[in-house]
Amino acid sequence: MTEVLIEARGVCKTYGNGVAALDEVSLTVARGEVVCIVGPSGSGKSTLLRTLNAMEPISAGEIRVLGEAVHDRRTNLNRLRTRVGMVFQAFNLFPHRTVLQNLMLAPRIVGGVADAQAREQALRLLDKVGLGDKHDQYPGQLSGGQQQRVAIARALAMNPQIMLFDEPTSALDPEKVGEVLDVMKALAAEGMTMCVVTHEMGFARAVASRVVFMDAGRICHVDEPQRFFDGSGHPRLQAFLGQVLQG
Amino acid sequence: MSPADPGRAVRPWGWYVLYAAVMAALGYGVYAAAQRVDYNWHWERIPQYVVSFDGEEVVAPFDGFVKLADDGRSLEVESLRTAERVRIDAFDRVLSGDGDLVFEGDAIAMRSGIAAGPLVWGLWLTLKLSALSLLFALGIGVVAGLGRVAHNPAARALSATYVELIRGTPLLVQIFIFYFFVGTVMNLSAFTAGVAALSVFTGAYVAEIVRAGIEAVPRGQMEAARSLGLSYPQAMRHVVLPQAFKKSLPSLAGQFINLIKDSSLVSVMALTDLTKAGREVVSSTFSPFEVWFTVAAMYLLLTGALSIWVRRLERRLAHD
Repeated sequence: MTEVLIEARGVCKTYGNGVAALDEVSLTVARGEVVCIVGPSGSGKSTLLRTLNAMEPISAGEIRVLGEAVHDRRTNLNRLRTRVGMVFQAFNLFPHRTVLQNLMLAPRIVGGVADAQAREQALRLLDKVGLGDKHDQYPGQLSGGQQQRVAIARALAMNPQIMLFDEPTSALDPEKVGEVLDVMKALAAEGMTMCVVTHEMGFARAVASRVVFMDAGRICHVDEPQRFFDGSGHPRLQAFLGQVLQG
Repeated sequence: MSPADPGRAVRPWGWYVLYAAVMAALGYGVYAAAQRVDYNWHWERIPQYVVSFDGEEVVAPFDGFVKLADDGRSLEVESLRTAERVRIDAFDRVLSGDGDLVFEGDAIAMRSGIAAGPLVWGLWLTLKLSALSLLFALGIGVVAGLGRVAHNPAARALSATYVELIRGTPLLVQIFIFYFFVGTVMNLSAFTAGVAALSVFTGAYVAEIVRAGIEAVPRGQMEAARSLGLSYPQAMRHVVLPQAFKKSLPSLAGQFINLIKDSSLVSVMALTDLTKAGREVVSSTFSPFEVWFTVAAMYLLLTGALSIWVRRLERRLAHD
């Protein structure tokens, strides 16, 4: 039996002006699954992802991640977040710290890991994303693709059980997209549980266990990639795929 | 650095010549103006107030009578009230006569050597006052600045009130309040009251600078730190504040230069800072022009040193 790591039920998020960003969204993700969330911009896919580690509050519904109620005030969010890594569109590396320090910061401060051990792990993770030689550089000296790979390594430094990716390649030059996707593919191959908001349909088709299509704050369609992309789904999904797969 | 004018070759030395010419013209203007008024310049009176060659004063340790030794090499002070007596022989010139009644702190003899003059003592007090106030203002400002960006409404309202109250009233009035009211109620010395007034005043401006600095750090920095499991205070301390500090360094430097200059207002209290020392020297030399030019130069020394130090710090922190 597969173990459910993420379970969202009836999640709603309404802004003050009455606009519903999320409307009765329910989603479960099992251990080892790679779930890609696609959809037009403004459809609520990033918002949904950000509610999973409480970067965004919700108005109604329930989200359980690794057995904990994410939006319950009694939940120790800081501890939960160490077990859920997140990668951002804009990388968000700490510009005043070297690459190595970026990776060591959280393990040392939050994890209480000794300096030498944090350093050793950081170097190992940098090797894994192919940037072992860049550990002494500052983020500003790296290309976008390299920065995003460092950001992935930084999120992995807390040994999370789930990784959330919020449009990880959208801010990259086209020729840098591949190197980041390769790192993500390798991670998926290791069995990491991943939720990926993306516009990379090729990645979704090749790597995803399931693909989720969102539109106007709702999940319209969920399916395995094979059937998802064959053009037999929801009319709005067909329209969306028609647009994104044209080019 | 200002953007270069595109499409135009830069020939900087010509402009430096112009700069020198304008400065020379201004200097001549001041000189000519000084010539027109009926004023006798006596620059030679000033150095003794900066560095004194009179030597150091030897002061009476308590109230009592002076007894000079016959050879004039030593003297004794006999206490007025107790049997205490003290022998002093480290001096070069006696200022008191045999049998004189002296009080604690009175100069009874001089030791030769080079000593700081009143202006240097004033400069020293100004430096102490400014440095201490700078430290406290930084502490107050960071706390109040954090309050300004906090989610807690009480913290936000409290810091906003503090900033508005302090920025809305003149520093001189605050100094009077600290000296006469707070100082009396809490029994503070003039120096403590001065440091308190300057710190509280500058802290309000530092708070606004810190707030602007924090707001200039992209939101994603806080989010990335929180997503790694850092608490809000940890994220502030390790991620946001270091970047905010770097961004606000130029404004902070400006504020602290203001602090040094504002410290001249504490001369209204019984504190002999550089400005007060200047006033005292004016009254004993009757050379206000020379004294105030000297005092201005001494302030420039402090503010200039601070500017240079901050510029170095900025350069050291610039790596991204």
